[in-house]
Amino acid sequence: MHKRTFKTASVATIILSTMVLASCASADAGSGEGQGGGDAGGTLIVYTNSNGDGRGEWVTAQAKEAGLDIEIVGLGGADLANRIVAEKNNPVGDVVFGLNNMFFETLKDEEAVTAYEPAWAAEVDQESGDPEDGAFWPLVEQAIVTVYDTNKVPAADAPTEVADLWKDAAYDGRYEVNTALGQATPQLVLAGLLAPYLDEDGDLGVSDKGWKQVEDYYAHGSPAEEGTDLYARMARGDVDFGVLPSSGITARDAEYGTVTGVISPADGVPYVTEQIAVIAGTPREAAAEEFIDWFGSAETQGAFAAEFASYPVNEKARGQALPEVVELIESLPKQDIDFALTRENIGAWVEKTELEYLP
Amino acid sequence: MRNSSWRAMLRSPLVVIVLVVLVWFIATFLVLPNANLLISTFFPDGKLSFRALEKLISSERALKSLWHSFALAATLAVTVNVVGIFIVLVTDYFKIRGSRVLWLGYATTLIYGGIVLAAGYNFIYGKNGFITNAALNVFPDIDPNWFSGYFAVVVVMTLATTTNHMLFLGSSLAKIDYQTIEAARNMGASTWRILWRIVLPALRPMIFAVTVLTFLTGLGALTAPLVLGGTDFQTIAPMILTFSKSSGSRDLAALLAIILGLATIVLLAMMNRVEKSGTYFSVAKVATPLQKQPIRNPLANVLVHVAAYVLFVVYALPVLLIVLFSFLESTAISTGTITWDSFTLANYATVFGTPSVLKPFVVSVVYSALASLIVVLGMLFVARVFQKHRNPVTTLLEYLLHIPWILPTILIALALVMTFDRPNPLIGGQVLTGTTVLLLVAYVIVKIPFTLRLLKAAFASVPESLEDAARILGAGPLFTLRTVLVPLVLPTAAAITALNFNSLLDDYDTAVFLYHPLYEPLGLAIRASTEGENNLDAMSITFVYTVLLMIIMGFTMWLVYGRGGARGRRGVRRGTRRAGAGAGPGAAAAPVAVPVPAAAVATVSPAPTPAPRA
Repeated sequence: MHKRTFKTASVATIILSTMVLASCASADAGSGEGQGGGDAGGTLIVYTNSNGDGRGEWVTAQAKEAGLDIEIVGLGGADLANRIVAEKNNPVGDVVFGLNNMFFETLKDEEAVTAYEPAWAAEVDQESGDPEDGAFWPLVEQAIVTVYDTNKVPAADAPTEVADLWKDAAYDGRYEVNTALGQATPQLVLAGLLAPYLDEDGDLGVSDKGWKQVEDYYAHGSPAEEGTDLYARMARGDVDFGVLPSSGITARDAEYGTVTGVISPADGVPYVTEQIAVIAGTPREAAAEEFIDWFGSAETQGAFAAEFASYPVNEKARGQALPEVVELIESLPKQDIDFALTRENIGAWVEKTELEYLP
Repeated sequence: MRNSSWRAMLRSPLVVIVLVVLVWFIATFLVLPNANLLISTFFPDGKLSFRALEKLISSERALKSLWHSFALAATLAVTVNVVGIFIVLVTDYFKIRGSRVLWLGYATTLIYGGIVLAAGYNFIYGKNGFITNAALNVFPDIDPNWFSGYFAVVVVMTLATTTNHMLFLGSSLAKIDYQTIEAARNMGASTWRILWRIVLPALRPMIFAVTVLTFLTGLGALTAPLVLGGTDFQTIAPMILTFSKSSGSRDLAALLAIILGLATIVLLAMMNRVEKSGTYFSVAKVATPLQKQPIRNPLANVLVHVAAYVLFVVYALPVLLIVLFSFLESTAISTGTITWDSFTLANYATVFGTPSVLKPFVVSVVYSALASLIVVLGMLFVARVFQKHRNPVTTLLEYLLHIPWILPTILIALALVMTFDRPNPLIGGQVLTGTTVLLLVAYVIVKIPFTLRLLKAAFASVPESLEDAARILGAGPLFTLRTVLVPLVLPTAAAITALNFNSLLDDYDTAVFLYHPLYEPLGLAIRASTEGENNLDAMSITFVYTVLLMIIMGFTMWLVYGRGGARGRRGVRRGTRRAGAGAGPGAAAAPVAVPVPAAAVATVSPAPTPAPRA
């Protein structure tokens, strides 16, 4: 009885699934042929790492209103960049946004994105994107900040320099360090730590003093716990400080009842700029460009900023950004980080840190 | 032993077809893509680079993590056996009150794993866990961090990996010749003496086999050390994961994975030797079903009962907690302050409120079902040919089929994307990158080693006399395979299908580079809804998805194991049926003893359920 049921079930599943896949495959064949031949129709495939928290749904709905038919493919930053590079000979996606400048430098280097000057090019600071070749264009700016809860640590008692956290024994084990160096934010923290110590004669272009900073930073910190938010750990009293992209502050203060304070060092904090670009070799280049013109426009970026507490690069859109976001970002000086150089070295830096310095 | 001459092998058209297809498949999908990737990794400028090896040797941290992985594997090989044999004995061998309920508790590891399992234990025994808090109220001097490091990882992984014992050891036990046990008892042997001298020795091949499996799981341990290991006990898998995502460090990732893979292959070779010298199939030829043994010593009886139920509670608590937590606000979970007001349906509303929430489930169910059926059907032929014809060619092909155990899943996926992004003559000039087919191919590939090991073992236990009888009666090879051999291994095949299906359902690592944008699988959907810097409900939503997955997986396991009668009667049913056609009643395993030489999850199989951090 069981044997037969299993057999029948197997056969039925195979037939059904083959039909499903076959229909998918033939649908692909339609668009697949187009991919080679330059079919400009069909749904625009938008790659992004910035689809969480309902952003993906929001963008899809707004685009539809603007007459653009898009499908969001959301993946984490490193995974997405790897996927685009791996697919570059036969691209699946048409346009990519949300990755930071470091990832976009890689995509440009691999010739996986292609240059296009959007209609709103004059409204953004060229320096935040790719001023030389115009391969990618800036959308949203974020600061990578060290935060604490002013309810627990009065602002007066907080350190003024991030380095105090590992130089002053009072903070030993009281700040969270994220050891998942495959992810974007921990990589930017590393880049920020090393930026003041660049030295051509040093190991991997960094002086010994710089590596000592990295060593001390991880040695005196408390490693992040998989699956536990920084603010939950602060609420429990495990740690007092931790690193967060600035856009995450508003939601956390609302959720945990915290009043976030930010350490603002004299040299500034690392900034990242999320970018947008056309994926090289897409048959839907015109549609991709149309999407970029729409998405980066002051109107869309302004609405996006109001909805998701972002800080738009588009100067005309900033009027619609939340006042507290604007105030925070404008109060934090920008650390001087050479992103082209960082991009070249970050892989090696991550490797060295992973092999030698992580706890 | 078996016929291994070339001519005999090539005389059968069936074998020739199987070999041709197999060689094509191995060359196209296993060797070509991975060789391309590895060559570009280890020979960056056309000559061999020892960079990775030098880096590895000079890194104290990497060597320590590697050592931890091996230490964990070795420890688990012991602890999992102790716990695994114990639970098999109390559910299947001894007369224990409520053994069916116990079985259900112990079986919970079949339906969840990864980060959710580790987190579940952490919520109970971790620094802020409620057992720890309760204990602290009574004894304020205990270290709140007591449940972390090596000890905690071993405990959690021991409990989490007894699945194979339950499935395969349990079924071997049912096939022990009961008349031997009766005879021993008539001669005055005690319960323990029978256990030590008759039962356990008869189970030895299977114990050895699941030990290998456990060892490999230990080597690839990822989430339990991440969640519970603390700074003192981190393993190598997270490092492999980080390195395989960075193009400059890919050689290191590959090297580390190959070191773990080589350990796998050494064990595999050992198993193959043992299998060849195979003199240990003590299959009952007479259908006297195993009867449960009472424990005569009253004290021992009480102790075993207590231990069994304590273990039951330990197994069942995290599952109950996860179901409970899926109804809680996430701040309540993460800060550990649960009140009546914290209960909410909001997490379920979030999941089901997502547009087209159902589609990823359908996509994943179709992919997983298709992949697990294809791989089992294909491997049925392959395992049969390997089993029947042993010569250097089949041995080589067999080892090549284990490539997916040696390389990290991420590298296999990347290699596929990059190889099939242009028309390839080996597949009729098709381009696979960007189609729905590539992910299916990848799913089939990653499940080959596990499936092959188990099926080959199942075939090994089929008495040759049955086949001879069929041949003498004039049956052709295909007919014999279909009507005589396949029914004998069908229960094992069904079990493998179910296990493969369950493990593919929430896969992330294979799918991330391969899925078609319009057909998003479940693993990706879960990750998407738990990722994001402002997504503070990540853990609760993971729990909701886990509960939904548990339901699907539970249903799959029920399809294979649960239907058609109570488990308690399984032994009886299996015994009687075996005397007939030999086709086991969908029960736990092969009708004849199945030594599982070596089977395990991919060497490095990172968290099945997503890590909710961006």
